[in-house]
Order: sequence, then C-alpha cells, then structure tokens
Amino acid sequence: MTDASNNMPGLQPKHPRLTSTLRHALLIAVCFVMIYPILWMLSGSLRPPEELFGGDAGLVPSQVTISAYPDGWFGLQISFGRFFVNSLIIAVLSTIGNVLAASLVAYAFARLRFFGQRFWFALMLGTLMLPYHVTLIPQYVLFRSLDMVNTWWPLILPKYFAVDAFFIFLMVQFFRGIPRELDEAARMDGCSPWRIYWKIILPLSMPVLATAAIFSFIWTWEDFFGPLIYISEMRNYTVQLGLRSFIDSSGTSSWNELFAMSVLSLVPIFLIFLFFQRLLIEGIATTGMKR
Amino acid sequence: MAEQTLSRPAAARMRASPSRLGAAMRRNGAGYLFLAPWLLGFFLLTLGPALASLYLSFTDFDLLTTPEFIGAQNYVRMVTQDPKFAASMKVTLLYVLLSVPLKLAFALAVAMLLNRGMQGLPVYRAIFYLPSLLGTSVAIAVLWRQLFASDGLVNSLLAQIGIEGPSWISNPNYSLYTLVVLSVWQFGSPMIIFLAGLRQIPTDMYEAASLDGASPTRQFLRITLPLLSPVVFFNLVIQTIEAFKAFTPAFIISGGSGGPINSTLFYTLYLYQEAFGYFRMGYASALAWVLVIIIAIFTAISFLSTKYWVHHDD
Amino acid sequence: MTTPLMGRRRFIGAGMLAAGLPLLIGRAALAQQSAIRMIWWGGDERARRTEAAVALFREKHPEISIQTESMGWDDYWARLATQVAGGNAPDFIQMDYRYMFEYARRGALLPLNQFLGNELKIADFGEANLASCSMDGKLYGGNVGVNAYTLLLDGAAWDEAGVEMPAYGMTWDGFAEKCAAFTEANQRPRVFATADGSCQEALFEAWLRAQGKALYTPEGTLGFNAEDAGRWFAYWAEMRDAGYCVPADVQALYKFSPETSPIVQRRSATDFGHSNQFVAFQMLVDAELSLTSTPVLPDGQPPQYFKPSQMFSISSKAKDPAATARLINFLIAEPEGAKLLGLDRGVPASAAIRDVIASDLDEPGRKVVRFISDMTPQIGMLPPSPPQGAGEVNDTIIRISQEVGFKAVTPEQGGANLVDEATSILGRA
Repeated sequence: MTDASNNMPGLQPKHPRLTSTLRHALLIAVCFVMIYPILWMLSGSLRPPEELFGGDAGLVPSQVTISAYPDGWFGLQISFGRFFVNSLIIAVLSTIGNVLAASLVAYAFARLRFFGQRFWFALMLGTLMLPYHVTLIPQYVLFRSLDMVNTWWPLILPKYFAVDAFFIFLMVQFFRGIPRELDEAARMDGCSPWRIYWKIILPLSMPVLATAAIFSFIWTWEDFFGPLIYISEMRNYTVQLGLRSFIDSSGTSSWNELFAMSVLSLVPIFLIFLFFQRLLIEGIATTGMKR
Repeated sequence: MAEQTLSRPAAARMRASPSRLGAAMRRNGAGYLFLAPWLLGFFLLTLGPALASLYLSFTDFDLLTTPEFIGAQNYVRMVTQDPKFAASMKVTLLYVLLSVPLKLAFALAVAMLLNRGMQGLPVYRAIFYLPSLLGTSVAIAVLWRQLFASDGLVNSLLAQIGIEGPSWISNPNYSLYTLVVLSVWQFGSPMIIFLAGLRQIPTDMYEAASLDGASPTRQFLRITLPLLSPVVFFNLVIQTIEAFKAFTPAFIISGGSGGPINSTLFYTLYLYQEAFGYFRMGYASALAWVLVIIIAIFTAISFLSTKYWVHHDD
Repeated sequence: MTTPLMGRRRFIGAGMLAAGLPLLIGRAALAQQSAIRMIWWGGDERARRTEAAVALFREKHPEISIQTESMGWDDYWARLATQVAGGNAPDFIQMDYRYMFEYARRGALLPLNQFLGNELKIADFGEANLASCSMDGKLYGGNVGVNAYTLLLDGAAWDEAGVEMPAYGMTWDGFAEKCAAFTEANQRPRVFATADGSCQEALFEAWLRAQGKALYTPEGTLGFNAEDAGRWFAYWAEMRDAGYCVPADVQALYKFSPETSPIVQRRSATDFGHSNQFVAFQMLVDAELSLTSTPVLPDGQPPQYFKPSQMFSISSKAKDPAATARLINFLIAEPEGAKLLGLDRGVPASAAIRDVIASDLDEPGRKVVRFISDMTPQIGMLPPSPPQGAGEVNDTIIRISQEVGFKAVTPEQGGANLVDEATSILGRA
C-alpha cells in the first residue's frame, strides 16, 4: 500500500513516531471494539450454554467444547448441510444472473446512444428508492400465476432481469471511466456493439464485475424476507430460514448451538471477504465515489 | 489492437455514412436490445406490481376478499386518525437523523485516520469493513439482541466498572439507540468510499496550504471537506434511503412488535404489521406509497441542496 | 486492472452451467407438487411428532400424498396471509382460536359439518369443544387440544420463602397478599414473586369474567369500560411499585413465548400461560413447575372457559377436502395418530383418546391432564366470538400495559386510552 504513503505531507507532525504510535493505539482500540461482538459470539459457540450469560464478558471459555456444532448442525429435522447447499445454489445462480443482466444494461446506458436513454436511466435510478414492500403482494400473485411459489425461481429469476438497480448503477459508473477511444476505435473497425461489450468492456471491467458478483452473492446469502415469503418446505430452506427456525425451536437452553450455527452461516461471507478483499475494496473505491 | 484499428478510421466512417436514418434505427435497436432484460423486469416485476399496489392503496383490501374502492380514505385516515402512523414516522425520522450523520461522521473520521499512509492499512480496513459485510443477516440481529440483553455483554462490561446497566432493548428509552449503534457499527462501506475519495485529492494542494501556514483544521475545512463533498453527497443519499428502508434488525430485536411502547416501530415494520398482522393490505399499500414519497422528498432535498455545499471542480 | 478474474473460456463455461443447472435441480425444488399441503406453526418437537404421525398416515393411505410445512408463530401468519391472498392457500391449516374468526369470516375456511360422522368422527368431543371451534353454527376446525389459562408456579421458590403456593380458589386480593409475603421472605436475588400479568389479555379476560363482564359483547363491542380497565392496570401498578411483580423493563423482554418469559429467565416465581404450554415451560427450567387456575373473586363468576389450543382447519380452496378431513380425523380422533401427537398441542378433547395417551405421559404431561380434569367442573360459558380487530386490540393492551409500566401514563389514563383505541379499532374493522 505504498500509494497511501505521504498523502498529506502538510500534516507532518513534530514527533512522527509518537503520534504514529498513538494513532495505532487508537485504531487498535477501535478495531477491538468493532470485532469484540463477533469474537464473543464465536467464543459463545465453544462454551457450555450455562456459561454464556450471567456476567461473563470474557472471550476465553473456561472449557472448550465443540459439541454445539454437530448438535446444532443436526438440530432440526433436516440438517444444515441441506440449507447450505440450497443457499449456495440460489446465491450462485443469482450472482450469475445479476452480473450478466446488469452488465448488459449498464453497457447500454454507459456506451450506447438511443432514444429515451436519459428517461430510462432516471427511471432506473428511481427504482432504487422503491421499498420492496410496495411490490411484494402483486409480485407474489404474479409468481403464483406462473406456478412458481415454493420454488427457488422467485428468488433467482428476477436477478436475470436486472431488477436490482444498484448493480446497474455501479457498473454504469465504472464503464463510463473506461476510455471511449477504445470502443470507438473498435466500432470504426466494424465491431458490433455485442462484440465491443464482450471483447472490450467486460475484460476491462473485472474489478467491478467481481464487486457486483461478491455483493450479489452476499446479499442473496443474507436475504431473509424473500425466502420467508416464497419458500415453504423445509427441505428447500435457505441458511437464514434454517437459522430462524432454529431460534423458534430451541429455547434459552441451546444458545451455544444457535451461536454455532450463526457463526457457520457467516463463514462463506467471511471466506469471500478474506480472498477477495482487495478486489472488493478496489471495486467500491473505483465506482461508488464517482459523480 | 488499438493502434491497428485507429489506422483505418476513414474507411469506417465512409461505410457508416450512407443512411443516417438507418444508422439511428440500428443504434436504437442495439440500445433497446441490451436494455431488454431490465425493461422486461421493470415492467413485469417493478412497474406492474407498483401500479397494482397504487390502485390497492385506494381500496379496502383484506387479502382474502375482493378489493373495494374507497377513494382517498386510507390517506386521509393516516394523517387524521392514526396515532401509530405518527409514532412510526417519528421513530423512523429519529433513526434516520441520528444514524446517518453519526455513521458518516464515524466513517469519515476513521477514513482520515487510515488515510495518512500507515502500516497495516489493509488489516485495519478489513476489520473495519467486516461488520458492514455481515450486514443484516439473522445471525447479527440475534447477536445484537444478546449483546444488549439485561445480562448480556454490554452490561457485563459495565458491571466490571461498577455500573448496573438497564435492560437496553426492553426499555423504551434506550431500545432505538441500540439500533442506531448497530447501524453506526456497520460504517464500513461509506468508510471505504471516503477512503477512495480522499485518495483523489491531489497532495500538492496540502503542500501549498501548509506552506501558507494553514492549520490542519483549516486544511480540513478548506481542502478536504470541499473536495470530498461529492463523495459525502453520494454516501448521504445512499445511506438515507437505506435507513428509511431498514427492517430486519427492528423486526428481529422486537420480535416483530416494534415495542416496547412502539419505541422501535420502524415505518416498514408498521407497514408489515398492517399488511400481514391486521390484513389491511389496502392501507399498507397506502403506507408504502407515502414512504416512497417521503424518500423521494428527502432525495430531492439532498439533490437541490447540492449547489450550496457540493463542490464541482469542472 | 486488466488481469481477468477467470479465463474467458471458464467464464463462458460458468454461464452454460448456469443455464443448465436449473434443469438439473428442476425436479427437486423448482417443481410444484400437487397434494395435500399441510401447514402449522411450532417448534422442532412439534415438527417431529407431526411428521411421524403424517408418515404413519401415508403408510395407511398411500394414495394420498402430503406435503408439510412448519414455522414459528411470528412468521406463520405473514406467510399464511400471503399464500391465501395469492390463491395458494394450504389445504390443511393449523388455526388459532382468534384467527379462526378472521379467516372464516372472509370465506377462507371450509365448514366441516358435511364431513361429520363420515370422514370426521368427533362427536365424543362434546358440545362445548365443538362450539368453541364454530362460528355462526358452522364448524370450522377440529379441536386439537383443550386449553385453559393457568398460573405457572415455581414450587421450590415459594417453599423457600415459606409461603404456601397460590392454589385454586385464591382471590385476587389473596394473590397480592401471597406475593407480599413472598417478597418479604425472599432470599433469591433478582427474583420477584410474579411476572407482570397486566399485558396478558387472557388474564384480563379471566379477571373481567369473574366480575360478570367480558372482553367482548355478543354484538362485537367492548364488554368492559374505561373504569374497569383502569382498575386492572392500577392493580398491577400497585404490585409493581411494591416490588411484588417484575419491573417493566424485565416484563418487556417477554415476547409471548415460554423461552422469553420471566419464570424461564429466572426472574419470577410465578408466571402465566395456557395449559398446553406447560410442558414447554417445564422443559426450559430445572425447577419443578406446577400449574393452577387463575385467581377468582369471592362470589364471583367462573373466570375460565375451555378454548381450543389450536384447531385443524381446511381451506375453502382445498383440492381434496375429504382426504384432508380424513387426515384431520387421523390426527385428533384416531388413537394411532393422536398418540404420536401426544400432548404437544394440548389435552385431547376426546375422553377416549385421553385414556389412550395417558400411559405414555411423563409427570408434566400428567399434571396438565389432571389440571384439565380438575377444571372441568369449574368451567364457565364460552364467550361470544371475538370480533374482527380483536388481534389488534390485544396488541393495544400489550402496548398500554407497557406505557403504564414505564409510567408514561397513569393507570386511569391507560384504561381510558385502551377503551378509546379499542372502540376505534372495532368500529373500523
């Protein structure tokens, strides 16, 4: 991260080492507060349930037991393994749909010229403000008439129609930053818009595609309301629904199991973050802030 | 590849010229072809349902029997005889007005701390970003409920310094603030956008300013803030809309009731109750449309205000 | 920036996989089945028992296929409402006493009278247990469990304080005195004599009924006035101020589930609930619990009545109502099915079925059955059916009890507000 060094030479302090230590101390303190709750949940999943409450704020369990994990995993009629597979399929299919559809549409908005472009763009941005409650019941009736209730289609299909304007917006911002000369040259050369999209824009847009894919995956993974309304059979449940049933069916006696399953439900998100951190942050940084 | 294509621009121009009308048609055709997925989705999944719910907002519709047209009665009732509407509006506005500025201020402060080129930046950045990544999942809401329980983590920590904390989430004086804290805790994504914005401010501006003897505060007010204002604006709009639409944390923390005493009755939660708890889909649709209007007003105000505080360098 | 994340070929491959995957999983989750769809709310224990009973039914009737769904109470009504609204109502619906009227009134439930004596052999449930599942003379559900409202008691805590536990026949003043004695002698830190009952609609109803009043009149208006409600809130305000019942911020943690109740959280020695929840309460605490009826008034009316803990109803859109009725009969009126359900949903209405399951019961189960038998002679008339909007009135009682608890309003003001708001809700519905 050399790019960040010397960013503000005007603010060179008089005692660089001292202030730097102070700043690190401050940051470490804030960091600690930030992740303490998560660590506490992790440690809670490893201790016997009766130790969770009643004044113990420490992170180190007096005895470590991992039994909450298998107990929780098989704690419902259907194991969490099934829920993870379900969530994974839904999230992967949704992600592919989102990236494909949003990039097509964003390409049209960012690079093509057509009648009504500004109008549609404004409308698209307008949908960002629409709370999903507005469309909930009519959408349900629609999917019902298509015989898709209690299937995964209502969760997946909309993604192939780029209904989440956020991703379009993200990509439009990025595409606009790609030098126009590139595709203009290609057009002169007789390239069709499709080829320009496929051969020039997409390969140059990997950071934003990755960002969109990662967000898409995470948001689908975390979605609670959609599955709640559309998925009814337990064997089709997502992880979030499984977790919710777990809260319903287990009492205060098995908080450690609930925590254990909560921890597991966060693992995929955490892994993605770990591996794609640089891409993700680069993606947000290069798109979100442009006008 | 680019060089090769640039060498033949004239030929291409000649090929494109014969029919301007045809070219325009082709251009429109291509544009709409690429737009097609969104257009389909927009009409079928957004506009159609939205119009349907707009119609429903003028009806008495209990989900089970046919909607009955009642004119603007739902809207009239909302402003004249519905104390819960007023209560939920108050809770939501309070939440938006508290959580958004706090979150942005926090995000900006941390971004500035991180920006001064330091070791371990990616690690710090990652840790700060983690909570907002975990977002609104059920697990986080569960965690929050336990943190602020009367014998939860927060009170255990307070007890160690001799303070007996209240039962945060079940006390109407504090419950909303636990949700504000949750929102501020997830300051990661505006922080990263701020970081990116700070990077774009040319360093020579600071150099010049410090040569002129400007204090760090003055540099912040005169350089950082104005140049960062488009980013602040972007964050402000996005976070405000998100805050208005917030649902899951309040739903899980209050068990869906918005209690105690309506203290966490977010507008969306009230809407949900009216629709699915009391079977008043017509009224709920009207509530949803009022929410759309309020969000639109807030966004419009933000946009209109930009000319007074958002700096454009071009 | 130009480094591709994945090779182009792999990218295309992923796209093709995306197109093909739906075909692969199409049979599993993406296809809709037509069968009896059965839906209920409840925890895992209930799901296990119900699935076992349904499996046995499938064995006996291989021609009927059954698809089950279950979820928690909070999610249940939202899901059911959306499904019914979407024209996708489940055939077999577990119903709640209050919601039964909401759904039946809107024509969403099928009257079961046509099946009586044929598919549905529930004549031995008795007149009262059929009437409690009926509206306007039509039967809308099979009674799954007889329920009464109870005091739940932690015997050891009361013993330790040297106070005799509340028992049947105790008056409201007597209850307050016992709580006072408990508070005086109590050694347990943070434990109070009782939970705050002011938010419990059913307890309020029992208190009203003892005075010859009711929550609702047969005409669907309020059966009590502002002064009654004010006295109710004042009774509990005194209990609270004296430290007999838990403070408002402890009570507010209660989300109407055993898990969140003060007695399970070890904050009170007494709590309130329906008798069918007793076993669930007992499973959550180490202390041995017992149950008794709610307080009475000297020379008062019987406060209690039996209502169905749950009922099994059939959607008016059911594809095969006769088969669904057969399934209901199997679960509530045939020994094999009823035995598998056990006491989980309440004490069976049929005496014959009660005898059949008696042998399998553990101690808490036996206590509940004994309680219902003991109560039977003391039981009063069934109240008129709750009017439309009753659910919202219940929410209002809860909210106002909190307002009084946190001293946002006085008990008198709370009583007046309750009557005002409830009247407006009922007038609107």
